[in-house]
Amino acid sequence: MAVKTEAAPYLDVFRPNAGEPAWLRDARAKARDAFVARGFPSRRDEAWRFTNLRPLADKPFEPGHGKLELKPGSLPKGAWFASMARTLIEKPEIARRAIGESDLAGGQPFASLNAAMFADGFVLALDEGVTLDPPVEIVHSAGDGSINLRNLIVLAPSSRATIVERYCGEGAYWTNTVTTVSVGAGASLTHVKVQDEGPEAIHFGMVRAALEPAATYRNFGLTLGANLSRQDVQVAHGIGSIVDLAGAYLQRGDQDTTNAVVVDHAAPGATTRELFKGVLDKRSHGAFLGTIRVREGAQKTDAKQTSRALLLSDRASVDTKPELEILADDVKCAHGAAVGDLDKDTLFYLRARGIGIDEARRMLIEAFVLEAFETVEQPELRGHLAARVRVWLEAA
Amino acid sequence: MTDSAQALVSDSYKYGFVTDIDEDRAPPGLNEDVIRFISAKKGEPEWLLEWRLGAFGRWQKMSEPKWANVHFPPIDYQAASYYSAPKQKAAPKSIDDVDPELLRTYEKLGIPLHERKALAGVAVDAVFDSVSVATTFKDKLGELGIIFCSFGEAVREHGDLVQQYLGSVVPQGDNFYAALNSAVFSDGSFVYVPPGVRCPMELSTYFRINAAKTGQFERTLVIADKGAYVSYLEGCTAPQRDENQLHAAVVELVALDDAQIKYSTVQNWYPGDAEGRGGIYNFVTKRGACRGARSKISWTQVETGSAITWKYPGCLLEGDDSVGEFYSVAVTNNRQQADTGTKMIHLGRNTRSTIISKGISAGKGQNTYRGLVRVQPKAVNSRNYTQCDSLLIGQKCGAHTVPYIEVRNPSSRVEHEATTSKISEEQMFYCRSRGLSQEDALSLIVNGFCKEVLKELPMEFAVEAQKLLSVSLEGSVG
Repeated sequence: MAVKTEAAPYLDVFRPNAGEPAWLRDARAKARDAFVARGFPSRRDEAWRFTNLRPLADKPFEPGHGKLELKPGSLPKGAWFASMARTLIEKPEIARRAIGESDLAGGQPFASLNAAMFADGFVLALDEGVTLDPPVEIVHSAGDGSINLRNLIVLAPSSRATIVERYCGEGAYWTNTVTTVSVGAGASLTHVKVQDEGPEAIHFGMVRAALEPAATYRNFGLTLGANLSRQDVQVAHGIGSIVDLAGAYLQRGDQDTTNAVVVDHAAPGATTRELFKGVLDKRSHGAFLGTIRVREGAQKTDAKQTSRALLLSDRASVDTKPELEILADDVKCAHGAAVGDLDKDTLFYLRARGIGIDEARRMLIEAFVLEAFETVEQPELRGHLAARVRVWLEAA
Repeated sequence: MTDSAQALVSDSYKYGFVTDIDEDRAPPGLNEDVIRFISAKKGEPEWLLEWRLGAFGRWQKMSEPKWANVHFPPIDYQAASYYSAPKQKAAPKSIDDVDPELLRTYEKLGIPLHERKALAGVAVDAVFDSVSVATTFKDKLGELGIIFCSFGEAVREHGDLVQQYLGSVVPQGDNFYAALNSAVFSDGSFVYVPPGVRCPMELSTYFRINAAKTGQFERTLVIADKGAYVSYLEGCTAPQRDENQLHAAVVELVALDDAQIKYSTVQNWYPGDAEGRGGIYNFVTKRGACRGARSKISWTQVETGSAITWKYPGCLLEGDDSVGEFYSVAVTNNRQQADTGTKMIHLGRNTRSTIISKGISAGKGQNTYRGLVRVQPKAVNSRNYTQCDSLLIGQKCGAHTVPYIEVRNPSSRVEHEATTSKISEEQMFYCRSRGLSQEDALSLIVNGFCKEVLKELPMEFAVEAQKLLSVSLEGSVG
C-alpha cells in the first residue's frame, strides 16, 4: 500500500481499540487506508486551493487530549444526549450512523483520518415529536496534540432541537471534528458552532447533513479563533426542505480561515439561504467556497447565496468562489459576493455626530457582521453570540 | 415540439459547404521537423523558428487542462496535419488575382470581396485556412500609418514590431493550447495603430476552417500605441464536418498609454449535429494587456457555435487608471458545451473592470461561466462589477457559474452578482397572446435578455448576432 509521506506519522500512531465492536474496527482500518493512500489535500485540489496547510504539514501531531463537556439542561423523555464513547457501548446501533461511506472510500481525507482515529465526540438523538428546549450545549477544550471528535445528531420526524458547540483551548493543538446530521421529515434543527480555539491551534470542522422532506436545518458558525481553521458544511436536501446557512468569521494577526459549503438539491421544491460575512484585519486571510448544486429534476428550487467580506488592513486578503451548478430549468438561483472596506461616507456621518473613529469603525463592523446572526432564532442565544463579537472588536 | 419547430431544428448548418481547392499540406503529426517545415514554408526568420521550437519544447512537457466543465474524447495530436495553404502561383496583387473559387466561398459567407469598399467602411483581411489571401483598404490605412496585414506579412515587413510584442501578453508556455499554437501557428492578423491615431474604420477578419483534418491555429496581435484607438471585429463560420476539428487560436492585445482597443467576436463555428457528432473544438487563449496609464480594452463576444468552447478573454490591468471590459453572450444548444468567461487582473492603481455575462442553455447544452477577478496589493482603489445571468430553456440543459474573486487590497471594491432563471410561462403567454409565434416570442425574450451585451457590438455585428441567436435557439421551445 502506498503511503503518502505526510500521512505516515498518523499511520504509526494508529491503534485499533480491542474493546470496540467489529464493524467499527473494520471501518477504522478502511478509513485509515483511505487516508494514507490519499494524504493531505493540496492546493491543486479545487476545494483546497485557498487553504494553506503548511502549518499542519510542518510537524505531525501526536494523539492529544481534550476535555469534552456536555451540558444537557433538562432532557425530555425520548432524547439521548451523551458522549460518543458512551453511545458506542450503550446504543451502538445509533453510533453506527456516525460513520459514512465517504469516510471509508476516500472522500475528504481529514474525515477519513477522523474516522480512523476518533476517541470521542457527542451524540444527540431525538425520538419522533420530541422537542428539546432550551438548547443543549457542548464545550470542548483542548491542550495538546491532535484530537479527533466524531459527532452525531439524529432528529426523528417532527422533533425539534437547538444545539450549541463551543471549541476552545490553549497551546498548539489540532482539533478535527466530523459531525453527521440527519434531520427527519418535518423536524427542525438549529445548529450553532462557536470556534474560539487558542491562537496557536488548528481547527477543522466538517458537517454532513442529510434532510428528509420538509425538514429545516439552520447552521450558524462563528469563527474567531485558531491560527488555521476550516469549516466544511455539506447538505443534501429533501423534498421541500429548508436550509439556512450562515457564518461570520473575524480574523486578525496571521489567522487563516476557510468556509467551504456545498448544498445539494437533488429533490424538488427545496429552499436554500446562505449568508457569510467576513472581517479580516492585519495579515489575516479568509476564503469562502460555496457551491449550490441543482440536479436534474430538482424543479422549483429556490436558492440564494451571499458572501461579503470587509478588508481592514493593507495586508489582509480574501478569496471567494461562489459557485452554481444548475441542471434543472424551473429554478430560482442567485448569488452575490462583495469585497470592500468600510464605507467612508458612513464613517464620516458617524464622526460628524461626535463618535470617535475607533468606536465608529466598531459600530459599522458589528452591524456588518450581525446580519449573519439572524439565522439563530433565539434572541437570548443571538445576544450571547453578539456579545462575543463585541469582545473581539474591543480586543483590537 | 411543434412540426415547424422540428423542421427548423433539422435545418442543416447554413454554412456547411466545402470548397474544393488544391492545397499544400504538412504530413500528419507533430514534431520539430513539421515546425521547421511550417516555418520554412512561410519563409520565416531564424528567431521565429527558435521561438516556435521553444514553445514546442514547453508544449511537450505540458498536459491538457482538465479543470473545465467540458467532456470530449481524447484528441490525437499526432493525427492532425498542422499546415495547409491554398495553392497559388504567386501572392495576389489585387482581388483579380485571387482564386475565383475562394471568392465564391466568401460570397456564400456573405462577404463579397469585390464589394468590400462598399461594406460600410469595413476592411476585411480574409483568412482562408491558414494563409491570408487578400487584404483590403491597406492603402487608406497606410496613409495613417496603420498596419493591418496578415501575420506572415507582418513577420516579413515589420519583424521588429512582431518580435517586440509576440508572446508578451500570452507567453509561449501560458497553457497547453497556447503553447501548441505558439509552436505551429499558421497565420492570422496583425494590427499596429501608431500614436495618436484613431483608426477610421472597423477592422475585420473572417476566419474560416476549410480543409478536413486540419486544425486551425491563428495568431492575432493588435497593438494600439499611445493615444490610439482601434475597433477589431472577428467573425467565424465553418463548413459542416463529421470529424471534430481543433481550433486553438491565440489573440494578444497591447494597449499603451491612453490607447483603446475594442475587440468584438461573433463565433459561429459548426456546433455539431443534434446528437453531438462533429463540430469544432474551440480552445482559444485571448488576452489583452492594458500596459499604459488610462488605457482601455473591451472584449465583446457572441458565442453561438462550436461543439466545445474553452475561452477566457482577459485583461491585465497594468497601467494606472486602466479599464477592462468583458461582455459575453454564450449559447449552447443540442449537445454543445461551453466553458467561458474572463480574467480581470488588477495590478495598477484605480483600475476598473466590468463583466457582463449572459449564458443561455437549451437542449442538452452545458454552459459554464468561469471567471477570475484578482486585485493585487498595489491596485489601490480598484473596482470590479460582475454580473452573470443564466437562462435555461428545457429540462436537460445545464447552467453553471464559477467565479473566483481574490482580493489583496482593502481599498478595492469588488461586486459579483449572478442569477439563473428560465423563460417564464407568463412572458411566453404575454407574447403569444399578442400574436407572436412561439419562435418569435423566444427570439424576442432572448434578445432582451442579451441586450446589455449586444448593444456593445458594432452595428452590423449586432444585427448578425441577433439573427444568430434566434437561429441557434430555433426549436428549443415547444
